Amino acid sequence: MTGYESLRKLSQESSLNNLAENKTTVLDKPTNAFLASLYPFMKKQIDNKRHLSVMTILFLFFAWWFVTFIGWANPLFLPSPSAVTQSFVDVAVDGYQGSTLLEHVGTSLYRILTAFFFACLVGIPLGILMGISHSFHQVFNPIIEFYRPLPPLGLYTLLVMWLGIGESSKLALLFLSGLPGIIIATIQAVSDINPNYVRAARSVGAKRWDLIREVYLPGAGPTILTGMRISLGFIYTVLVAAEIVAATAGIGWMIWDAAKFLLSDVVIMGLIVLGVTGMLLDLTLKLFGKIVMPWTAVRKM
Amino acid sequence: MKIMRKALSASLLFALSTSIAQAEVPEEVTVGYLNLVNAQLVTKSLGLVQKEMPGVKINYIKVGGGGDMLRAIAGDQIDFGGLGNPPTAIGVTRDLPITGIMVLNMLDYVEAMAVRTSANIKKLEDLKGKTIAAPFGSTTHYLLLNALADEGIDPASMKIIDLRPNDIALAWSRGDIDAAWFWEPALGKVLNDDGNLFMTSGIMASRGYPTWDVGVVMDRFAEKYPDYVEKFVRAECKGIDYWLNNPADTAKIIAKELELSLEDATRMMKGTEMVPCPKQLTQQYIGETGKKGQFVDTLLSTATFLKDQKRLPKVPTRDTFETFLDASYLETITK
Repeated sequence: MTGYESLRKLSQESSLNNLAENKTTVLDKPTNAFLASLYPFMKKQIDNKRHLSVMTILFLFFAWWFVTFIGWANPLFLPSPSAVTQSFVDVAVDGYQGSTLLEHVGTSLYRILTAFFFACLVGIPLGILMGISHSFHQVFNPIIEFYRPLPPLGLYTLLVMWLGIGESSKLALLFLSGLPGIIIATIQAVSDINPNYVRAARSVGAKRWDLIREVYLPGAGPTILTGMRISLGFIYTVLVAAEIVAATAGIGWMIWDAAKFLLSDVVIMGLIVLGVTGMLLDLTLKLFGKIVMPWTAVRKM
Repeated sequence: MKIMRKALSASLLFALSTSIAQAEVPEEVTVGYLNLVNAQLVTKSLGLVQKEMPGVKINYIKVGGGGDMLRAIAGDQIDFGGLGNPPTAIGVTRDLPITGIMVLNMLDYVEAMAVRTSANIKKLEDLKGKTIAAPFGSTTHYLLLNALADEGIDPASMKIIDLRPNDIALAWSRGDIDAAWFWEPALGKVLNDDGNLFMTSGIMASRGYPTWDVGVVMDRFAEKYPDYVEKFVRAECKGIDYWLNNPADTAKIIAKELELSLEDATRMMKGTEMVPCPKQLTQQYIGETGKKGQFVDTLLSTATFLKDQKRLPKVPTRDTFETFLDASYLETITK
């Protein structure tokens, strides 16, 4: 999926959410006092259609449990939920090959967040400049368009040759996978700004820097944030690849190593941990957006 | 609905393919071969499997190491494969549907630990604080940990990293690692680049840790086409005979297949021991039906070691490994 496509998809999703949030579901007031106290919370969840998500998760768990319980699934490929839970406990307490689960997650999060930080640090300013100035856009666009579709593993071989098998090649790979998403989203965000705002600001004497600070950044903020979320997602997808070469810790490495020894319970446990931490990171970003850019919330109403 | 239709057509296709299979001739045979120096390269180069199976399409897939081979087996992507004793122990313990049918090679100095000459490593003790690479889960990773354990050295006192043979050669040339236990042909590259042989798999064999590669067949294939397993073993045995009888021509083949100099190919050949097929039925190797040989002991001790490393959840019974090794194909063709 290209950056543009995923951007469009995300923004569609969020507008759908808005529609859903505006609809109110009629719920009969319960008589029981305890239930009544839960009512506002429940109502909000149901208005948000959260119960559907909960049901999806419950259904998936049930299907997983059922398939393994009946014996339809070869435990080598799909171990039971209890085996996966057991491996979670084992790795959390005893560790996997020298590091506990927390250390594996910590190592990976360090790599992800460092790469993400630098991707934002480079990507957002570059994107704004490319969005505002046509010349900038022409200078940098060929580079970004060229390397964006390259498969990460192909790129990785070269990075390992240049930077060695240590931490820097891993960080560089993650950084490069996160960069295009954020640049493209930022360009899009800046060029989507209503030109009347810019003219209005100019008419009261705003210089280029004032424009960036007062018009472009606040106006483009929400889309940039979406770009950051996409970028984090891309970094996440490349994590296992980045940790294949010469790592000794990290959740991606754990998954890769366990697969080598056919420890599918550890593989699935690692994937769940990876997925959950990814969701938590994404939630954090969304929350960050709500706090730093309250005007997005205003627009929703 | 669409999924239903897909499932229906898939099952229909499956039914069709099974009815065709009653003719007991496979349409194609896929051989996964390890990227190392043994007679499989001769068999491949001379097209011996093809000669045994006229009309069948033969695919050869080069596989980097035991870990990848296990994945290929678990993913049902090959019909025949080759595995060292540690991946074999892993696969059998995890109930992979495979059967060992022959000895591909015994490992001598074709697998070895190279150390950087300028790093001045004279004994295992000197490795402390250094970075050592080995492909995890392979024969050499197994030997490295055993060699350290025998001298009472804590593996945590050095940095042992997981790299594939080709990546080891790359990391070596950059100076990222000081020692590595891996195999030819990548091993030759580092020996020419400030490297020297420190320890070989042959030395470890004499210390009671023999390592070897065994040819395996997928059970699904063996049940359906037992004749073709026999044909495969016959072809590989011819390759081994060719290797033993025509060393000079074999060296040329190896040099061509792996794009090596003739000199390197000759050296690597000497580091691998080929076992003539009749000899594979003796007690030192697979043994015979009803009385399996030392390979079973090696598999058991390998599994025990891996269990201690927490790489395996359990050690299977002796019986499991005896069942895994099937001498009948060798017995039929050497009769």
